[in-house]
Amino acid sequence: MTESRTESMPMDEGEVVKTNNQPTENRPFALKRWNALAVWAWDVDCDTCAICRVHLMEECLRCQSESSTECVVVWGDCNHSFHNCCMSQWIRQNNRCPLCQKNWVVQRIGK
Amino acid sequence: MTTPSRRRLMRDFKKLQEDPPAGVSGAPTQDNILTWEAIIFGPQETPFEDGTFKLSLEFTEEYPNKPPTVKFISRMFHPNVYADGSICLDILQNRWSPTYDVAAILTSIQSLLDEPNPNSPANSLAAQLYQENRREYEKRVYQIVEQSWMNFGENEGDMEPKEGEEQGAGDEPAAPSGSN
Repeated sequence: MTESRTESMPMDEGEVVKTNNQPTENRPFALKRWNALAVWAWDVDCDTCAICRVHLMEECLRCQSESSTECVVVWGDCNHSFHNCCMSQWIRQNNRCPLCQKNWVVQRIGK
Repeated sequence: MTTPSRRRLMRDFKKLQEDPPAGVSGAPTQDNILTWEAIIFGPQETPFEDGTFKLSLEFTEEYPNKPPTVKFISRMFHPNVYADGSICLDILQNRWSPTYDVAAILTSIQSLLDEPNPNSPANSLAAQLYQENRREYEKRVYQIVEQSWMNFGENEGDMEPKEGEEQGAGDEPAAPSGSN
């Protein structure tokens, strides 16, 4: 997960200020402003295809040397992802995920 | 024209150079990237300690979908190594995964040295001594450790240290005549 971002969204102060924000004995501070924080990351375990060692967003080694048209990514039910070309070569001889050895079931194919 | 398997091997080689695992090294031979030579150092605090064992790796155009053929060139005495140097190791046969690379293969063989699997013996004498007479087993292992130093510089190869250094660095009692 190389790419992740944090963004803070300033909220309208007025909304918060209306609530009881005066210091009290139990809460000796005033709440003047709060920021909601959201974090996101790609929903994959790894950015690199463990079979050919090329980044999943780039063409696999085979497609690089054969200049093929479309090199897409395949996700299994185990949430491991590979280049579809790399994986289709492997499952011809063994229908298991090369990383977790679980039975390989395609969850989705795409970019 | 370069092929996917050759490109993958170049990546393996680059990774091996940039991030070398402890105690193993390997490189393709000069004229063929599908044929590699490697050295595995015997793991410390085991009978194999200080051994410098040479191996050959033969890849095919089906790599990494098929494992390479790996053999010890140096003499080996180990329950899972055949007399011709070939190795009985599950990840090189039915447990192979295309996610393995040369570094993973070499470190797996290195750890196999001190963790033999006596249930699938390739050398029945080694397997028997390992289970029944550990002292004698270790004695045999020390012998092939000493032999690994003697044969180290014999073959050609870029991986061997310079001759002068090799002699000078030997503070172990490497006297080759000791065993006969």
